[in-house]
Amino acid sequence: MAEFNVRSDSVNVEHIMEQIRARIREKRGVDYTEAQIQELASARLEKYLDPQNVRSDLLQEFHRVRSATDAPDPSDDVIDESVLFETHRPWLRALRKVLRPLLKLVLNTKALAALSLRAKAEVARRSRDQLTFELVHNMVVEMTRLSIEVKNLTMRVESMQSRLEFNERRARALEGVVVYKPSDPEPVEPPRRPPPPAYESRPPAEYRPRHESPRQDAPAAPAASPSGAAPVAGGAPEGPGQRSRRRRRRRGRRGGGLGLAPGTQPDQQPVPMGDDASDSSSSAPDAGDSDPDPQ
Amino acid sequence: MKLAVVVQRYGQGVHGGAELHARYIAEHLAHHTDVEVLTTCASDDATWANTLKAGTETINGVQVRRFRVSGRRNASAVSRLSERVFHQTHSLADELKWLDAGGPMSRSLVRHLRKHGDAYDFCLFFSYRYCHAYYGARAVPSRAILVPRAERDEAIGLRVFRDVFRGARAILYNSPEERSLIHAVAGNQQVPGVVVGAGADVPQNPQAGRFRQKHNIRGPFALYVGRIDAHSGCAELFDAFQHYASDSSSRLSLVVVGDGPLAVPKHPKIAHLGALEDGDKFDALAAAEALVLPSRFESLSRTALEAWALGKAVLANAKSDVLRGQCGRSNGGLVYQDREEFSGMLQALDQNRWLSASLGQSGRQYVRDHYDWRIVERKYHEMLVQLQKAPPSHVMAPMPGWSARRRRDLEPAADVVRSLS
Repeated sequence: MAEFNVRSDSVNVEHIMEQIRARIREKRGVDYTEAQIQELASARLEKYLDPQNVRSDLLQEFHRVRSATDAPDPSDDVIDESVLFETHRPWLRALRKVLRPLLKLVLNTKALAALSLRAKAEVARRSRDQLTFELVHNMVVEMTRLSIEVKNLTMRVESMQSRLEFNERRARALEGVVVYKPSDPEPVEPPRRPPPPAYESRPPAEYRPRHESPRQDAPAAPAASPSGAAPVAGGAPEGPGQRSRRRRRRRGRRGGGLGLAPGTQPDQQPVPMGDDASDSSSSAPDAGDSDPDPQ
Repeated sequence: MKLAVVVQRYGQGVHGGAELHARYIAEHLAHHTDVEVLTTCASDDATWANTLKAGTETINGVQVRRFRVSGRRNASAVSRLSERVFHQTHSLADELKWLDAGGPMSRSLVRHLRKHGDAYDFCLFFSYRYCHAYYGARAVPSRAILVPRAERDEAIGLRVFRDVFRGARAILYNSPEERSLIHAVAGNQQVPGVVVGAGADVPQNPQAGRFRQKHNIRGPFALYVGRIDAHSGCAELFDAFQHYASDSSSRLSLVVVGDGPLAVPKHPKIAHLGALEDGDKFDALAAAEALVLPSRFESLSRTALEAWALGKAVLANAKSDVLRGQCGRSNGGLVYQDREEFSGMLQALDQNRWLSASLGQSGRQYVRDHYDWRIVERKYHEMLVQLQKAPPSHVMAPMPGWSARRRRDLEPAADVVRSLS
């Protein structure tokens, strides 16, 4: 019941109800309501077929009736006429035996016996019809239910398919936004990082480049992180680029370093060091990691 | 001009549909003319016991004159006679017995009308199916204006009322469907008539939040207001709502307001609040998503008018031709044939907020155009002036003789009603 086509401000209830009814018919799949299904199920096709009398042991009953009725058709040589003269009263049996030739003379006893057999077969056929009817009845009900369910499931699948497509479109749209964001033409200058708060809070006179007073930081670093894995004083964890840079710095102090040209003064080094280097984490770690280890 | 409003019960504590209708009409007409209410001492329509004092009193500025009821209602006799006159070939005497058994028979009221009927210019009789209207209209036929409040039930098919419909001076109908029904059953097209109905009084600012807080109701809900019995279609309503609630996408609950003999099923989405005061009822209407009207027998649903006046959509039973007609004319409500449609319509109202809002808006406009009290008063006034100017053009047929009344040749009333549709 999601959408209705009403184009004017004033609604037309007849039109809306027709849409809703069409939707219900569509949802129902077939023009059978549950009540109609029950009505169909309880319909008696024939007087002798009782749909209420549905048994649970239908298969066994089927087998039993089938074995009883699968006897060969009666032929003249297998018809036993004696069944016509059977009785539980001895005196009547004796009388019939005495009169049997006379009876056989005036009556076609074979035909009577065949009729008797056919009557029994008819009774058996009716009971089998009852079973067949039950089967058909159950199948009709189940088929109707299944067709309704299939229709419902089809609609659900369609609904989920449309939802999935919508979500995919949404995901693609979101991905597009994420991809194209860096190539936004508006920012002309690269974003400049603000100076670290430690420098802001420190007076300018106290600022010293790290290489001018190497002894101030050198003992502190091993004390703070002897294994090199402990967090730094600022609380931020130390990255692998920082570690390798520190290693290069120590080598530089010992033997002139790899990055310094002969005759270059330490205070002329262009690479930021110390706290400055650790703060410029966006570019320095990548640069440090990309350098091959001299060992 | 002096008017008598004749109704079976009257009072501020009486909440029946016809009784409220009569009270509102009396109170509004009393602003323009002299109105006296003639009623019984009964306050309970199940027994018609004389619980109120006979005599005169004034209620909301209207003079009320009460008369004692001659006999109590005999429920078993009503049931037995109903079976006879509704479903078997019967006589006019049987129908009169049925009418007397249903009550309220007040001989003093009829006597008063016979004696002092000339003192009134017109007498407005509410509810055709009760003794006071039948015998009262026969007592003053040239002054009798009937407000029948007829529904499409078996009673309308009884032969005994045909003469009253044909002989009344005028008939004020509640809806075009009611007029068509009475025309079809009585053939009284010559009787002056107009579709009037009654106005809907609603408060300006009903408080939905107050209702929710007071009754601990959360979430959206559909509302039923009325008597809870099978006659009102409540059994079908509960069945249909449970079918709706079995759908996992259903959000609405059902809040049931009112009392009655039918038990409300215990269901997590059905809340029964019992009878509420008018203020609470309007708060409930304001809080509801839609009003549900499951009754098949309606002549004018005041609750529907009140819901529309508050801008709420209505979901009504399509088997009631009055409600179906009102919903169609107003574009203010949907109608359902069975529980599948009930579920579908309720879901549509719930999931499409613009739909319920548009229906409510259309309903509100419909009430403003047709059921504003000024319009109702004007229609009454015009009809009374027209009747005053013109002499009566027809007379009421006298009661058939003793033997004619006992001739068992009348068709069952149910068959008569069935043949109308």
